[in-house]
Amino acid sequence: MRTLGIDVGSTTVKAVFCEGDAVLWRDYQRHNTHQAEKVLEFLVRLEAECGLQPGRDRLFFTGSGAGVIAPLVGGRIVQEVVAVAAAVERLHPDVHFVSEIGGEDMKTIFFTASESGKGKQIYMQSACSGGTGTFIEKTARKLRIPPEDLARMPYDGHTLHKISSKCGIFAEADANSLLKSGVKVEEIVASLFEAVVYQNLATLTKGNTPMPQVLLLGGPNCFFLGLQQAWRHHLGLLWQERGVALPEDATPEMLITVPADALYYGALGCVEVAGTEPPDSGRYVGGTTLRWWVEEGQHAAKAKEGGTPLGGDPAALADFRARYGATAGPPPVGAEGHRGPVILGCDFGSTTAKAVALAPDGRLLHTAYTPSKGNPIEDARALFRDISAAGLTEIGALALTGYGKDLLRDILGADEAVVETVAHARSAIAVFPDADVICDVGGTDVKIMMLRQGTVADFRLNSQCSSGNGAFLQGVAERYGIRLEDYAEKAFAARAMPSLAMGCGVFLQSDIVNQQRKGWSAEEIMAALAAVLPLNVWVYAGQLNNLRAAGRRFVLQGGTHRNLAVVKAQVDFITARIPDAEIRVHPYAGEAGAMGAALSALDAWSPGKATRFRGFDAIEALTWRTTTSEDTVCRWCTVNCKRSFIDVELPGAPGRPWSKVPLEPGWQRVIAANSCPKGLVEDVNEMRAVKDAMEENAGVSPNIGALVREEAFRSVRLVA
Amino acid sequence: MPRVLNVWSTHRFWLGFFGALGLPANRLVFSSDTSEEQFREFGRGRGTVDCCWPVKCASAHYGELMFGQRRKLDVLFSPLIYNMPSMLAGHVVDNLACPRVMAGPEMVRAGFTREKDLFAEAGLRYVAPLVTLAEPQLVAGQLFKAFDGILPGLTPAETEAAVAEGFAALARFDADMRGRSRHVLERCAAEGRPCILVLARPYHMDPGIGHEIENDLQNAGYPVLWSQYLPQDPALMDWLFGEEVRAGLMASPFDIADVWPSSYSANTNEIIWGAKFAARMPWIAGVIRMTSYECGMDQPTFTPVQAIVEHSGTLYFAFQELDSTKPAGSVRIRVETILHYLGRSSAGIIARKRALLPPDCPLAPG
Repeated sequence: MRTLGIDVGSTTVKAVFCEGDAVLWRDYQRHNTHQAEKVLEFLVRLEAECGLQPGRDRLFFTGSGAGVIAPLVGGRIVQEVVAVAAAVERLHPDVHFVSEIGGEDMKTIFFTASESGKGKQIYMQSACSGGTGTFIEKTARKLRIPPEDLARMPYDGHTLHKISSKCGIFAEADANSLLKSGVKVEEIVASLFEAVVYQNLATLTKGNTPMPQVLLLGGPNCFFLGLQQAWRHHLGLLWQERGVALPEDATPEMLITVPADALYYGALGCVEVAGTEPPDSGRYVGGTTLRWWVEEGQHAAKAKEGGTPLGGDPAALADFRARYGATAGPPPVGAEGHRGPVILGCDFGSTTAKAVALAPDGRLLHTAYTPSKGNPIEDARALFRDISAAGLTEIGALALTGYGKDLLRDILGADEAVVETVAHARSAIAVFPDADVICDVGGTDVKIMMLRQGTVADFRLNSQCSSGNGAFLQGVAERYGIRLEDYAEKAFAARAMPSLAMGCGVFLQSDIVNQQRKGWSAEEIMAALAAVLPLNVWVYAGQLNNLRAAGRRFVLQGGTHRNLAVVKAQVDFITARIPDAEIRVHPYAGEAGAMGAALSALDAWSPGKATRFRGFDAIEALTWRTTTSEDTVCRWCTVNCKRSFIDVELPGAPGRPWSKVPLEPGWQRVIAANSCPKGLVEDVNEMRAVKDAMEENAGVSPNIGALVREEAFRSVRLVA
Repeated sequence: MPRVLNVWSTHRFWLGFFGALGLPANRLVFSSDTSEEQFREFGRGRGTVDCCWPVKCASAHYGELMFGQRRKLDVLFSPLIYNMPSMLAGHVVDNLACPRVMAGPEMVRAGFTREKDLFAEAGLRYVAPLVTLAEPQLVAGQLFKAFDGILPGLTPAETEAAVAEGFAALARFDADMRGRSRHVLERCAAEGRPCILVLARPYHMDPGIGHEIENDLQNAGYPVLWSQYLPQDPALMDWLFGEEVRAGLMASPFDIADVWPSSYSANTNEIIWGAKFAARMPWIAGVIRMTSYECGMDQPTFTPVQAIVEHSGTLYFAFQELDSTKPAGSVRIRVETILHYLGRSSAGIIARKRALLPPDCPLAPG
């Protein structure tokens, strides 16, 4: 009797065929999401090459793909960590700690000696990409490092930089900004390895010390030299710190090992577990059923597992279209026929700049848009050229919002700088005066605002996790060559759709590939993506598990809500939880921020009131010089963004005599190319200037909490 | 002592207690404020499975005291504070600490003893008695038992005197802070200026837990009060609550049974009372609520606290998911948002609330 141990993982299939202790056959291959096909191929080969025999030999499966496949061939299923632990116990009696990193998961096993043999503590994480193989590979792909080079790149000897260890998409963004600021690729990769080891130690040790000896398993641990070095570095330090006695002359290299067959431990463990099971369990029944499954069954199952289509039944869809099909506001009327002042609102975001021009009676005259070029002054110039070309030259009032509002306020001569939330709320209230909740889904962020008494009482901005933003839909549509305007029609045409997993955007990407391989079409996948978006927006990014508590009246805005498929998914999602919800889509969803700024300006405007606006000619004639040098590098954190200082001539501006790049009076500085708001403060000199002002303030407006912080833990004079 | 959890409201008790026992002030060492760096360096991998960051971060404080000191320490003292002195004592059902917070030190201890006794290895005595600070008569016995044999020659009588000194020191500190809060309100009343009240647990004053969000509002010119240190002198209490007490709507100015009958938790009670205070006090134009991620004690209070505060039109802003990282970008936007609405509405709020109260205000005599 012989036993096949087979590990069907998220990216590869690994198998060992054993008789007693002898390994007769083994192989390891990527399955490119064709898990069942690859298993069948292995079985066919084994029958031909090694005489695998139905009715006699036994199959024991493990891995994330085992559940579906094992029953089709008579195999038994062994839980993944149990399998690995069984193999380790058998092959390495001295090992006390195992880290197994997979494509989309990570596990740690602690072995401790106890009276009844060995105790095991097992921890596993598979919901987030942080710390997994995908985390490394995704970023390396972005950095255009070929896999064979990545495997050889070292950790030792490189300067490390901070990379988010929590989310693969943010890690990619961090890696990008490191690259842009001139950090060497080798250092970025070393920092990635650092982040992976940190994440594993931080989340999967739970108070246990990984004791020698240590075994590293799984593809990433096995293939990436740098990752092995990072483990040795960190565990070596940890042991030193915690005074772990190491055997004499032992080095971390000797105590932390990667076995030659590190990839096969899951499969080997299956064989190990099989030895403890009754001899007739897991008997191979032949490949016929699996073959049927590969050729027909999985497609039928696809239809069965699929959720109800996004479009719903035709009557419901027609009803939905009647209510939401034409929510877009009328197009701007243009300058023709308009006399008198124009009220302008501009939204300077991190990726785009937009402007909205209103007539004093609130009519929409014009909208303008420009992708951000990284220099807010250039962006502003582009917008104002557009506005002037549209024939709108008499500006009555100007309000700014978005990331650039404070930078540009004086330079453009804005009457008001409106914080983003207030602008969005102003805009929403114009559509729906009693709104409780505003949900703004843009390209790169999700904002949720809860309104009470006409003010924004609570606000959620996703910052830890990339899940839920709209850029993703656009990316997928582009991949299928479908224009964003046609997204909804395609999605509604799908008669079924797969159910995609909520949460991590990195895994969502691979899940899409998976569904595609299962035979789901572009339309069906696009429908599913739209359908999963609300879950990501409200639950994952917004952390609102009880939507009802947020309110009953919703306004959807942001460019992503121009997509009717997303609106349908949102309406379905919200009404499933709040049957009497009222949901409205902002008529100018994409321009809601700029519109809100314009409305704020309009609120404050009255005929004849003077504006601070400098005028088109002044903006066109702005003189500026840009400095990018060692002295402009941001030192607030280790990313060291290479910022640019854009100094603009502006009569009356105070200048910055204390700066490393001094600025004479009559000039104003705009800081650009920083990747976070911290970089808007130039350096410690400016911080000092700001702090002095703060301290002056503290006397006038005390903060009792700060007084407690300062005084409560100081020694007390005892009253005798 | 780890500077964690309810040590943030009982600090002066401990300083007074140890001081009275003759421990020089420089020999009582507190760990530093919570920070992500501290957690990275000293707490990593020691953690318990706990989503409560204020509890979880305590392992970093322990680590810092054990491994991060220039001088070696002899005793790591981390009391399990079962109940607390509270300004509402006698008016509420009980003054208990959150059970998770009370037992926090035990959870953290486990991370330092599960493999081997790291306290012993660091040459430290770990002392973590259960103390009932809301029942002062029991405290001397609890602390004597804890330190007998550790502080040579300690007697029960000495302990009792030191406990009395501890409570006196805490009372002086609290009274001083209440006086300063009152002074803030007096100035606001005199100048017609708005201020802000923070409703949070005491340990949200820790820069690594509350992230000093209220500092940004202070910097914009708004004085900031905390619910733990509101003034409570009789004339002011009568001005705010007297009419309702006389009408039989509440038993005393400190009664919260009208809105929160299950008043068992000291910190929760003070938050609820703070909400009632804020709803009535004219110059508190806005309330900032801070809550740590997944706080089970705070969750049932969200709606009542918000409803109480907003009942009088006072602005209410919540930061409900505070965790280890300061969400700097979103905090900045939120603070600007709050400033916008305060700037727009404060004057109206003050006038409306002032009109509801008796004309003679003890904060602005004459």
